[in-house]
Amino acid sequence: MDGIARAHTVILQAKEMSKSFGGVRAVQNVSIAVPANSIFALIGPNGAGKSTLLNLLSGIYQPDAGSLHFDENNLIGLPAHRRVRLGIARTFQKIRLFKQLTLLENVLAGFHIHQDAPFWKYLVYGNTGRFREEARELLAFVGLEARSGERAGALPYGKQRMLEIARALATQPRLFMLDEPAAGLNAAEVDFLLKRLEQISRRGVTVIVVEHNMDLVMNVAHRVFVMDHGEPLFEGTPREVQANPRVIEAYLGGEFAP
Amino acid sequence: MNERVKARTALGTAIVLVLLAPWVLDQPYWRGILVVCAMNVLLALSLNLVLGYTGQLNLGQSAFFGIGAYVSTLLIKSYGWNFWLAALVAVGAAGLLGLALAAFAVRLRGHYLAIASLGFAVITYQVLVNWENVTQGVRGIYGIMPPVASTTALFYLVAGIAVLVYVLIGNLVRSPIGETLRAIREDEVSAASLGINAALWKAFAFGIGAAIAGLAGCFYPGFVGTLVPDAFNIVESFTMLAMVIVGGMGTMIGPVIGAIVLTFLPELLRGFGELRLMIYGLALTLVVLFMPGGMVQAWMALRARIR
Repeated sequence: MDGIARAHTVILQAKEMSKSFGGVRAVQNVSIAVPANSIFALIGPNGAGKSTLLNLLSGIYQPDAGSLHFDENNLIGLPAHRRVRLGIARTFQKIRLFKQLTLLENVLAGFHIHQDAPFWKYLVYGNTGRFREEARELLAFVGLEARSGERAGALPYGKQRMLEIARALATQPRLFMLDEPAAGLNAAEVDFLLKRLEQISRRGVTVIVVEHNMDLVMNVAHRVFVMDHGEPLFEGTPREVQANPRVIEAYLGGEFAP
Repeated sequence: MNERVKARTALGTAIVLVLLAPWVLDQPYWRGILVVCAMNVLLALSLNLVLGYTGQLNLGQSAFFGIGAYVSTLLIKSYGWNFWLAALVAVGAAGLLGLALAAFAVRLRGHYLAIASLGFAVITYQVLVNWENVTQGVRGIYGIMPPVASTTALFYLVAGIAVLVYVLIGNLVRSPIGETLRAIREDEVSAASLGINAALWKAFAFGIGAAIAGLAGCFYPGFVGTLVPDAFNIVESFTMLAMVIVGGMGTMIGPVIGAIVLTFLPELLRGFGELRLMIYGLALTLVVLFMPGGMVQAWMALRARIR
């Protein structure tokens, strides 16, 4: 995959970003340039700052220093909900579904920024049925169409992860960030996830994925960014990452050693 | 039966019940209780939008009820305004104050918001007591006329408005706005990740909720004939809270049932004299203890078990 020629426009660019919590430097001087339409993986040992970086990119945290651009848009100071309107969506490491709502309602909530009917229509007609079809299609995409009326909290863990993906896709992102989407999934579910990530990517969506599952990273990622102790350690293609002695020492151990 | 037919049937039933109520309970005393009941339904609906659907623990609802009552009464008594014009301004004033309280809700959650909103209700109450030049303080305002002549007409008016508000809020929570509000209730961070501006939509819920409580307040002074701050004591906030919780918050019909039950229960217990409040309190405790989702959820669970 990494040999395929892709447009080299950068869709997301962070320069020298840092974030500390109290005395802990969670992210230090991280610069990344994510190529448009790529699948970009963030890896590193626990506590390397991957999730913090994702939270900085999605606007849950604001950086202490550094710059961040999405296309031409400066993201610094922009709250999370405004970034979604620019085309940035994400999922969470610790699943954050609307547990009391049905699967369909979860996905419909994801269409929030695209709801455009005037207020009086809601008062007079209530549910306008807008995006209902699209929401069902998204549920079908993640294999959950048969359970659309069930409460999200009642789903098994792996299905909850897939529902969160469908919900985030409802915002119709150009950049989709997933925080450890394979955590807690069984082999078949990882396989399904992998196929879906490739499909999402093929539709022209740039994907950033934080992941511990090396099979998944090495199979789908075009670029891999390795972090350790809040700092960048290495960046390259999956093959280069697997061969890099520093990465092997800090993270991969013997698992992928040649 | 599809949803629409069901909704129409329910609405038809509600209208018939409202029309019949003053002729079933035909003594003047009970007709008065019916008016109180209709006001309580409005208040429970208003709190439910904020608490049940948006998940904001708001204990300041009594303040908006009071603001509706005082603003409308003062405009009528001091400036000779027409009732409906005064009510319109009073509803707007209550709504604006709701937005002010929403400013707290943007920064505070759960128990902290509860305390801040309770403080808001205490301050409002103290203003009503102490700003004597305007409100007459505890001496009260007397000789307030209702917008319609008879108790029965007043009941039809307030109950009609309650039915209308019920239908409108019902539509609203079934619309995409309902999903937005419930998303905020379930998980704000997650809602933000879908582009939902929680601050904006909390302000929306608080504003509408306050306006509806203010609307209920417009009818109260004319019904009683006098207006004293004590009617808007913070205890009223807890009464509304009890109605919403006992009925079933986050459902449309729950708070309505809660309001009806908690309006009539104390009246039916009058025979017990001194024991009345104890039994009332015990009943509340038992409901919360054994029906955590309120009466509506308990009913649905019971029906599911029978089937």
